[in-house]
Amino acid sequence: MIVIENLKKTFGDHLVLNGINETIKKGEKVVVIGPSGSGKSTFLRCLNLLEVPDEGTIWFEGNNITDKKTDINIIRRKMGMVFQQFNLFPHLSVMENITLAPIKLGIMTKEEARQKAFELLARIGLSDKADAYPNQLSGGQKQRIAIIRALAMNPDVMLFDEPTSALDPEMVGEVLDLMMQLANEGMTMVVVTHEMRFAKKVATRVLFMDEGRIVEQNTPDELFENPTHPRLKEFLSKIL
Amino acid sequence: MNIVTDWFVEIYKSFYRAIVPDRRYLAYLNGVKVTLLISFFAILLGIAIGIIVAVVKVTAKESRMKWLMGICDLYITVIRGTPLMVQLLIIYNLIFTSRNTSEIAVGAICFGINSGAYVAEIIRAGIDSIDKGQMEAGRSLGLNYIQTMRLIIMPQAIKNILPALGNEFITLIKETSVASVIAVTEVTKAAQYIGSRTYDVLPPLIIAAACYLIMVVGLSKLLGKIERRMARSDRN
Repeated sequence: MIVIENLKKTFGDHLVLNGINETIKKGEKVVVIGPSGSGKSTFLRCLNLLEVPDEGTIWFEGNNITDKKTDINIIRRKMGMVFQQFNLFPHLSVMENITLAPIKLGIMTKEEARQKAFELLARIGLSDKADAYPNQLSGGQKQRIAIIRALAMNPDVMLFDEPTSALDPEMVGEVLDLMMQLANEGMTMVVVTHEMRFAKKVATRVLFMDEGRIVEQNTPDELFENPTHPRLKEFLSKIL
Repeated sequence: MNIVTDWFVEIYKSFYRAIVPDRRYLAYLNGVKVTLLISFFAILLGIAIGIIVAVVKVTAKESRMKWLMGICDLYITVIRGTPLMVQLLIIYNLIFTSRNTSEIAVGAICFGINSGAYVAEIIRAGIDSIDKGQMEAGRSLGLNYIQTMRLIIMPQAIKNILPALGNEFITLIKETSVASVIAVTEVTKAAQYIGSRTYDVLPPLIIAAACYLIMVVGLSKLLGKIERRMARSDRN
């Protein structure tokens, strides 16, 4: 579904991604872990071209999205993204947050979009918040709304950029629960996170990144139980 | 006691002379109308120019359109670096040389071009004040750059800069008094004209000042209302 070839990215003099090759298949739940500054967020953000790679090619569902001729706006409709800072639109109500893109892009009529939004809100138990504004919500609620805002576009893959890092500890669970539900429904997911429990439970594959490379990858059981790379051993000893 | 009474009678008479005979009040009303017309169209033009210049400056920062940014910078530098009255005279004499151009239109265009430079800087600051994540969130949903700007960034930016914009518009209304140098009969010019007829310059000028005050207070009230309405999403 996503094929990444020799991805490179520098910020100034700093080499953030140093040649990444990876293939993500439909239905996979890939969790990316690694120390801060290892390039994992940049890697994720390259997948929907929020960061434009300096070198390398990314294929999504057969389209070369790093090709300048590809209309990235069409591609992004099929790639939902969830941010660390939620990035809900504070001037719009929850309902408008969810329905804005589907309506303005002409994917759904206003009625269809509202219908879909109500279904999604009901699913996360926040139907009563449809007319609330984002700053009336808790962090966990905001992030769950941000997730269903992405789902309202019916994406083929969901990208999560440290979705629980900005949350109070007691709110992490509700967000992870929703992500696990998505995973169980077969959504293809790429998740950058520090939540190792989530990685163990949900991931079909865990990638460990360090200094702009994927230095080790395996199933979660193998990766956490039998790490081989010294950097991974060191990383795991610090966080587990 | 008598002196004080006489003084008040004298003041009353001067103001009476400045307002009533020859239906002079109509001259003020006309002046107010012209002032409002110039201000209104200048504000519209200023906002239009301001938005375009601001968006170009913000956009050009991260793309190849460096030359466009140069033009915008030049425009802002020249407008902000030269006096409004000189700009007005230059535009009036140089560009609109034909005799049958409407002075009001010239005034509105000139003040609009002038205001645009200030509005552009205000809007640019407003756009910069919006978190980068908002643009990313919009783009990640498949909205293009312009849609994201229009639907997500601008509404928030304008809410943030409304007080600063209000100041700019208030300044603009007052600065239209300069338009008298290109023979536009707005309030100030009307007052001067009446003063020259009654040989008593002060009362008409005070009346003109009152007219400006009323217009500015009216605008402030209007802006306050809009600000409160836009603050809807801020309630907790």
